[in-house]
Amino acid sequence: MRNVQELTWLLLLVLTPRTKGGLSRPGKPTLTSCRSPEKETFTCWWQPASDGGLPTTYALYYRKENSEIMYECPDYFTGGENSCFFNKNNTSIWVNYNITVVATNRLGSTFSDSVDVDVVYIVQPNPPENVSLSVMEDKGWPFLRVAWAPPRKADTRSGWITLIYELRIRSEGENEWETHVAGQQKLFNIFSLRSGGLYLVQVRCKPDHGFWSDWSSPSQIRFPEYFHQEKSAWIVTTAVCAFIFLIITWLLHMNHGSLKHCLLPPVPGPKIKGFDEQLLKKGKSEDIFNALVVSDFPMSWSSSSNSEDLLVELLEVYIPEERENMLGASKDLGGGSFKLESSTSDSDSGRGSCDSRTLLIEKCGRPKEHEDSAEERVEREDWEDARVDTGGRTWPSVFPGLPDRPQRSLSDGLSQVLGPSEGQVCKQIKARSDINIAVSGHKESPARWSVEYVGVQTVVNDDMVILQPWGSREGCTPLHSLQERDYSQVKQVGSDDTLLLLQKVSEGTADGREAGNMSQKSATCMNSTTATGGYVDAAAAFPMTTY
Amino acid sequence: MTARQEALWAVLLWPCLLSTSFLLECTDQDQVIHPYCLSISQDKLLDRVMQHVELIFRVSEESCSLFEDIFVPFPLRLQRNQEAYACFTKAIPIPNSIGEVQQMSDKWLLHSVLMLVQSWIEPLVYLQTTLDHYDGAPEMLLNKTKWMSDKLISLEHGVVVLIKKMLNEGLLTTSFSDQGLFRYDMQTDMVESVMRDYILLSCFKKDSHKMAVFLKLLKCRHTDNANCA
Repeated sequence: MRNVQELTWLLLLVLTPRTKGGLSRPGKPTLTSCRSPEKETFTCWWQPASDGGLPTTYALYYRKENSEIMYECPDYFTGGENSCFFNKNNTSIWVNYNITVVATNRLGSTFSDSVDVDVVYIVQPNPPENVSLSVMEDKGWPFLRVAWAPPRKADTRSGWITLIYELRIRSEGENEWETHVAGQQKLFNIFSLRSGGLYLVQVRCKPDHGFWSDWSSPSQIRFPEYFHQEKSAWIVTTAVCAFIFLIITWLLHMNHGSLKHCLLPPVPGPKIKGFDEQLLKKGKSEDIFNALVVSDFPMSWSSSSNSEDLLVELLEVYIPEERENMLGASKDLGGGSFKLESSTSDSDSGRGSCDSRTLLIEKCGRPKEHEDSAEERVEREDWEDARVDTGGRTWPSVFPGLPDRPQRSLSDGLSQVLGPSEGQVCKQIKARSDINIAVSGHKESPARWSVEYVGVQTVVNDDMVILQPWGSREGCTPLHSLQERDYSQVKQVGSDDTLLLLQKVSEGTADGREAGNMSQKSATCMNSTTATGGYVDAAAAFPMTTY
Repeated sequence: MTARQEALWAVLLWPCLLSTSFLLECTDQDQVIHPYCLSISQDKLLDRVMQHVELIFRVSEESCSLFEDIFVPFPLRLQRNQEAYACFTKAIPIPNSIGEVQQMSDKWLLHSVLMLVQSWIEPLVYLQTTLDHYDGAPEMLLNKTKWMSDKLISLEHGVVVLIKKMLNEGLLTTSFSDQGLFRYDMQTDMVESVMRDYILLSCFKKDSHKMAVFLKLLKCRHTDNANCA
């Protein structure tokens, strides 16, 4: 009982803190950590608390697992201040340690909390040693090789401790570290570092069960300058592009014309056969018209079935029947050939409109009281066909003298006329025109007109037409018949397509003689012509009269 | 410590004594030090002992081959299947055939291991001294033998703890070496000495392998591990 009382009093004494002018029992120390560097020894550190104003001593006691025997720390100095070092003989990996620190001063002792320690789990190795940095090359690209050795005390060679390593690297000036796990190997390659940069490297290690060691002291290395292959690629690319650009520019310059022609095609000029701009500029109308005439006119006329292509204007000369005698001479034509310039711009050229007299005949109805109605109708019909065939380029007319031409196209008729004269290269255009040769200017009914064909040879002036009778074509060269030609002066141009011609004596020849010649000639010519086409030669039919 | 301090200790530690009953034994999941984890678990202990033994075996292999390369001429080298050379540990009642081993109980396995370990502690110490006398013995060989000697002592301690934990029996550390199984004579003849040491290393290699097998067998009995097939 008494012991118990004593004990309780002791307890109270111990447990109640006493303050004696600021002095007291020491504060409660704490065990901060226990660490083993190689799993063969370990060290424990503690943190002392207030010493209570009195000199305080510290002691560490440990107890092995399942044993009640308390041992005191064998070594207080090796580990430094406030530490306890357990050497190899005192370290066992098979049992736990229960460790307590006691702070004692004059006034009492204070115990720390106990800590259980398993040596295998408190292993924290020293940092790796001999960290070496070197720059190696891999196919021209440099990289950094980091190599290190395990800490000296750690027995990795026998396998007693297995360590895994980790390293970190950063560039000078950066704040962020880049961490790499190296596993159990003792070297590591780092690629893709900036050339010319200064780098810092640190390594640390950890056992399978344990704590990471401290980072090794930083090793420095400067990465060498290597040629920026990326930049060189850019330079080469730029140079090649510039070169190509220059070539393209030069090509464009050389082919400026053709390119321009390709992109902006020129406006096509007139495509008239024989049309010569230069002649037009010179102003020689004869040459222009000569050029316009198709050289092989007779050939093409006979051969082509499509008379629409023919740029032929036919002048049809109308002679009223009353004045047949008078006008016979007029028909007698020394001829000329009238060349009409067929102008594509004049869509109405050669074709009569309703205003013209002849059209009135065909288009607007046929007068029944025509005396030569049968013939004329035939002619008209033919003429109409012909007109259609020629595409409206010819002037419609009535042919009283064409009885044998039913339903025959104008082109056929003309081709028959032209047939024997194919050999000739006469630049003649048969022209038809409605001629009202009413001297009085009175327009007579076209029913009483008789039609003759004349060849228009030339247009001398604006109002002079050189006509040539049909018959005179046989064996006639218009160029030579200049003196034999009869000039008919156009007195008046009727509406649209009628011409008033005046009989005119050819120049430089006696009328009578010429007339005689002409008549002879015309007779011969007439014979041939009448044999062919049935055209009546005006000169032969009517005596030549002069006005 | 004074009586007063001892009394103090006893009084102060009574909460700990009370609380020991509440303390749980550490499980394998406790990787970190737990204040209430008083002891290492049995499985963990067995693993550690096994690793220990495997390490010792590996190092013994290396030292034996190193010794053979340096000191033993070709004609005298021992062949693997040569059972002729006698190891002094033959006297220990340890089963040698696989059939016998599988019939052994846990207790018998553990005790066999312990006996082997204890019988080899002294010969290894001897080996260290003789190797020092050789001319041209490499540093590595000496370090290895020293290492093996140290680890063997530690292993003995571990097996004792394991026996205590597995068999729940307190065991006094008996040492077979007291029985004087291993006798040695200081041979003056170099060749004889070399051969003796060579045989000693070879025997140690065999016995450490035997220990590893026993422990592996014990492990497989207590776990459903696929490695034990």
